[in-house]
Amino acid sequence: MRTFLLYLLATIAALLVQSTVWHWLPLGGAIPDLLLILCVYLGLHQHTVGGALGAFFLGYAQDSFSGSAIGLNAFAMSLVFTVVYLTSRRLWVDNAVSKVVLVFLASVIKTLVVVALIAIFLSTDGLWTTMSRHTMIEAVVAAALSPPIFALLARTRQVVAEEQEAA
Amino acid sequence: MLEFIRRNRIVLTSGSLLLISLLLVSASVRSRRRSDPVATLLLETMRPLQVLVSDSVGALASAWSRYVTLVGVRAENETLRRRVAELEQSAGRLVELEETNQRLKELLGFRSTLEGQTQTAQVSGRDPSSLFQSLTIDKGEHEGVRKGFAVLSPFGVVGHVVATSAHAARVLLITDHNSGVDAIVQRSRARGIVAGALADGCVMKYLQRGEDVQVGDRVATSGLDGIFPRGMPIGEVADVSRNHRGLLQVAEIKPSAPLERIEEVLVVAPTAQVLEAGDASEPHAPAP
Repeated sequence: MRTFLLYLLATIAALLVQSTVWHWLPLGGAIPDLLLILCVYLGLHQHTVGGALGAFFLGYAQDSFSGSAIGLNAFAMSLVFTVVYLTSRRLWVDNAVSKVVLVFLASVIKTLVVVALIAIFLSTDGLWTTMSRHTMIEAVVAAALSPPIFALLARTRQVVAEEQEAA
Repeated sequence: MLEFIRRNRIVLTSGSLLLISLLLVSASVRSRRRSDPVATLLLETMRPLQVLVSDSVGALASAWSRYVTLVGVRAENETLRRRVAELEQSAGRLVELEETNQRLKELLGFRSTLEGQTQTAQVSGRDPSSLFQSLTIDKGEHEGVRKGFAVLSPFGVVGHVVATSAHAARVLLITDHNSGVDAIVQRSRARGIVAGALADGCVMKYLQRGEDVQVGDRVATSGLDGIFPRGMPIGEVADVSRNHRGLLQVAEIKPSAPLERIEEVLVVAPTAQVLEAGDASEPHAPAP
């Protein structure tokens, strides 16, 4: 329950930053995806059905605040979770560098998946320009932000686990 | 079989969620007029937090910008710097108040020119993705805001309401690629659809190749889409492309409203006249 609350709070914080703070920073319209970092974290450390559901919810929450059709980001997040989960089962991705690379790749994959879905289901006007302009910046910033966020999440999870054990 | 399911339950769950997501996208695209109750609940729950964070970040950005302007003065004299800081702070506040006052005055003046029910709203959040262009405003169904209402600023068309909760609403900007506004070129009366092109602004599509459209021409709403009143400025033609084969030409439009930094907007309910016009020209209606 406490772990669930931890992820819920992290989701709310990430959503708030993405929908308010990022728009004030001089990132040239790019919006680094903090929810994606949470999704990668779930794929690496939450190998449960709850982790998969959590990833879906992250995307759904993003869809709810976006001008997009509901389900676009939910699909992309579920896919990213699956890819990260399968990767972490087969490859050793427990050091900081591999996690940074994983977040970078996950960000690129997510953008490509969303763009592909938009191209299939909706209109593509201006999509390629925006994608080419922002994808790399967003992926680099998300990758750069991932070590402190991962460390913070890991530390909080550890405290929660210790408290649960003590109780 | 059970063992297989147990061993692969995470992958199977993810697979099911991927399918559910695709079904959601498909349903959402087909019936965009239907509201999603979970999304509405999330929008409403997050509204106060969004307003709080948005205001705090705004105040912080304003304080930072004041600080930057004061760096030079600080080096000259510590006492003088403090005094200047105080004065600058008050002046900054006054300027901010004056600017807000000016914006609200313009909004009020503009509001009086519009027919039908209008509502002033503040922007409380923006789209959490760079692939879409939308805003969250602090007025919802409780204040009379409904799906399909036009959102305007004194400078021009902003977008239209696509989702509402009790005290908040989501506005799809005219620069989003899902947006479409029935429009005319004011000089030549050429008609087309202004669709979003994200970072590139907008494009005016379905213009007959023979129509007279030139760079600098002003584009306004036709009033025929059942959402926007007639004659509202949309933007200016920045480029005309006749390279495409066929009978049509495309014009790039630079929006009149400062969509990147807009803080207050006016939500306008469609008048009976607008609705009638929309019904009469249904085939040209914009994407929801």
